[in-house]
Amino acid sequence: MPGAVSGGKIQVLPEEVQRVATVGRWRVVVLNDPVNLMSYVVLVFRKVLGFDEATARRKMLEVHEQGRSVVWTGLREKAEAYAFTLQEWHLSAVVEADEAH
Amino acid sequence: MKRIEVKLAVAVVAPLLDVIRALGETPPVAAPGAMVPPDADPDLRGAWLGELAAAEATEVRALLALFDEVFFREGVVAFDAENAEVILRACAVLRLRLRESYLRAWGDDALESGDVEAGPFGPGGHKAMACFLFLATVQELILQHLGDNILAN
Repeated sequence: MPGAVSGGKIQVLPEEVQRVATVGRWRVVVLNDPVNLMSYVVLVFRKVLGFDEATARRKMLEVHEQGRSVVWTGLREKAEAYAFTLQEWHLSAVVEADEAH
Repeated sequence: MKRIEVKLAVAVVAPLLDVIRALGETPPVAAPGAMVPPDADPDLRGAWLGELAAAEATEVRALLALFDEVFFREGVVAFDAENAEVILRACAVLRLRLRESYLRAWGDDALESGDVEAGPFGPGGHKAMACFLFLATVQELILQHLGDNILAN
């Protein structure tokens, strides 16, 4: 059962908090495509996600070289909004459950 | 307002517009990259794909509207802060559609690197590839000259 360390003791979290903690975190993942220009992807990352130039470029290279990059993590509703906006810009963006949390 | 005007050879571009029109006239469907979240309910799925398809149709119409009587008379198209974003996106979706419809034979590596020598793909394929490269050039121009405007809007 998941718990949290509080004042040196393990505290068992209420079930609802556990559910939000495990179910509530989602990732926005951008997948590589052979069509969109690198400079275009950098601009979209800056525009949609608010990245600075260096971060946008690093994330773009991750997509290019590794085939995918996690560009945002958080609550599902907001993850869906980001994925939708990225798709409006015609990037291949998906929402995945964040298994690590 | 920052504005760039580009002089194009009408005789070269006109045949490419036929390809773009044909792609634009196909029933509006969401872009190939559109992926609805897992376990989305039918209402969300419908709204998600419907809104993407509508936006896509608007973008293609905006691009085609650039090539009006003035273009066919003077060979000039203009990009500015008002139309830069929609044209940039139109080019992106049309390039994705070109890949889906005509350019699979070139292979992803060739498309990604831009190393696309003429091959035995027939005149339709060559025209589609010329269109693919033309749209990339339009995107590069916009990104170079109006990218800051897009970020600021």
